[in-house]
Amino acid sequence: MATENLKDKTAVCGVGHTPYGRRLNRSTIDLAGEAIRNALDDGGMERDDLDGLIVSFGTPIGADADTLAYALGLKLKMYNQTWAHGRFTASCIQWAAMAVNAGLANAVACLATISFSGFRRPMMGGAGDSEGAREAGGGHGEDPVFGMTSPGAGAALVARKYFARFGATSQQLAAVPVAFRKHASLNPAAIMREPVTADDHQNSRFVCEPLHLLDYCLINDGAACVIVTTSERARDLRKPPVYLSGMQGLPGGREEFIWTYPGFGTSQQDVFDYRPGLQPVYQMAGATPQDVDALFTYDAFSILAWTALERFGFCGQGEAAAFTQGGRIEVGGALPMNTNGGLLSEGHIMGWNHQVEIVRQLRGECGQRQVADARIIQWANAYGDSLIYRR
Amino acid sequence: MAEYKKPLPAVSSLNQPYWDGLRRRELTLPRCNDCGKIWYPPAPFCPVCWSRNFAWQRLSGRGKVNSWVVFHQAYFSSFKDDIPYNVAEVELEEGPRLLTNLVAVGNDDITIDMPVEIVFDDVTEEVTLAKFRPTRKA
Repeated sequence: MATENLKDKTAVCGVGHTPYGRRLNRSTIDLAGEAIRNALDDGGMERDDLDGLIVSFGTPIGADADTLAYALGLKLKMYNQTWAHGRFTASCIQWAAMAVNAGLANAVACLATISFSGFRRPMMGGAGDSEGAREAGGGHGEDPVFGMTSPGAGAALVARKYFARFGATSQQLAAVPVAFRKHASLNPAAIMREPVTADDHQNSRFVCEPLHLLDYCLINDGAACVIVTTSERARDLRKPPVYLSGMQGLPGGREEFIWTYPGFGTSQQDVFDYRPGLQPVYQMAGATPQDVDALFTYDAFSILAWTALERFGFCGQGEAAAFTQGGRIEVGGALPMNTNGGLLSEGHIMGWNHQVEIVRQLRGECGQRQVADARIIQWANAYGDSLIYRR
Repeated sequence: MAEYKKPLPAVSSLNQPYWDGLRRRELTLPRCNDCGKIWYPPAPFCPVCWSRNFAWQRLSGRGKVNSWVVFHQAYFSSFKDDIPYNVAEVELEEGPRLLTNLVAVGNDDITIDMPVEIVFDDVTEEVTLAKFRPTRKA
C-alpha cells in the first residue's frame, strides 16, 4: 500500500491551545492567533517557519483560513479548510503530512477555533442549525420536518439500536462519561473537573432519549493547534518529535453512518456481523490494537466510545458495553481512553484538544494523568478514520 | 387550515416525485429496473448498480421500527408543545429506512421491530408527510 511510504516520515513538532471555557467572550481570530503562537513557541519555531495552514472548522463557529492568513500576517504557501463538522481532525493532519512530504510546505499548522458562545442562536439543533437543510438531510441523520435535529439525536438512534441489538444498558454506558470526568479532574485545562458517578449519569435529564445530559459533550469556546513537519526537520526542533506512524482516511458510502460502523443497521446501512480485520492504520504502522498504550476518540456522545472500540477491533461487536467497565478505560487501566477528559469533560475543540494531549502523553508531559511509558497512541473514531502516533 | 409553523421539506428536482406521491396518498420511491434495488434518498441513478433505468414505484406503506428516540429538549420552538415527542427510523418492507414520527402510540409503548403502517398527514395545502402508526389487525 502506497501510504506505507509515509510511515514515520512526518511528525508533530509543536502543539498549543488557548484556555477552554463555556463562554470566553473572545474573537475567533484572537483565539486562533493564541493557539498558533503557543504551538510555534512549543516547537521552538518562528512565524516564518510556518508556511502552511489547514483549518478544521471555520465560519460560522470558528475563524477561516484565509482570514487568519491576512489578519495574523501569516506567510503561507498553501492553505485549506474543511466545512464545519468535527469529523475532519485526522483528515487535516493527514493532508498536512502529505503536503510536507510532497514539498508543498515545510510546516503546516492544523487548527480548530470554536466559539459556540459567539452567536445568538444555538448552532447545534433547531432553526439555527443548517444541517437539516442540506439536500437529502443532515450528516448525522437530521430531518427537521419531523423535529429530528442536532448531532446528538443521530447518536441517540445508534444508542437505542445498540442497547436493543446487544442487550446493553444506559447504566453500562455511564462508565464512559464517568471515566473521562475522572481524567478531567486531573487536567487543569479541563472545563468540567468535578467527578461524577454512574448515578449522576442516570439522574441527569434526558436530552434526546435514551441519551442523558451526561452522555453529551460540552458546548464551549477555545482553539487548539498542531504543527506538522517532516520528521527530519522535527528532529532539529526544541521538543522530541511525535511521529505519524499510521493513518487511514475517512470512509464514505451507503454503508457508513457517522456514529457507527458498517453492518450496524442505521440509516441505509445493511445489517451484518461486522468484523474489522486488521485495519489499514495498523498495517501502515506495523502495530495491532494490543500495541496501543492509550486510545483517543471523538466522544461528542458517550456511545461513540463503544462504536469506535468495536470498529477498530479492540473488542468484538456488541462487547464494548462490558469492555468499558471496571476502570479498563481509565488511566491505570489496560486501555486508557481520552486522558484529557475528552469532549465530554475537557472541552469540545473538535478533537484537536485530544491531538494536543496525545502529543503531550508521548512526550511524558501529562503529570498526574500520565500513561506510564506511553509509546504508541491511537486516534480512532466511530466514523472510521485514524492516526497512530509514536514517540 | 391553521398556519403550519414546523419546518417544511426542501423539495428538489430529484425528490419532487416523492412529495407528489405523498400528496396523492401514495408512498413512492425509485426502483432500479436492472437490479431491482429500491432506494432512499432519491438519486439520479441506482446507488447499487449505477443504472439510469429506474422508475418510481408505489410501496406498501408497511414497515417496522428500526430505532427511535424521544426529544426532551425543544430545539425548534414549533415543536415545543410536542415535548416529549418521538422520532423513529422506520424500515420499510421494501428495505429503505425513513425518519418519521410515530402517531397513535405512547412514547413508552414503542418497541424495536414494532410493525407500523403509513399515515398521510396533510400539514399544508401543498405538503403531505409520511407518518406511521402501529399496524392495525385486519
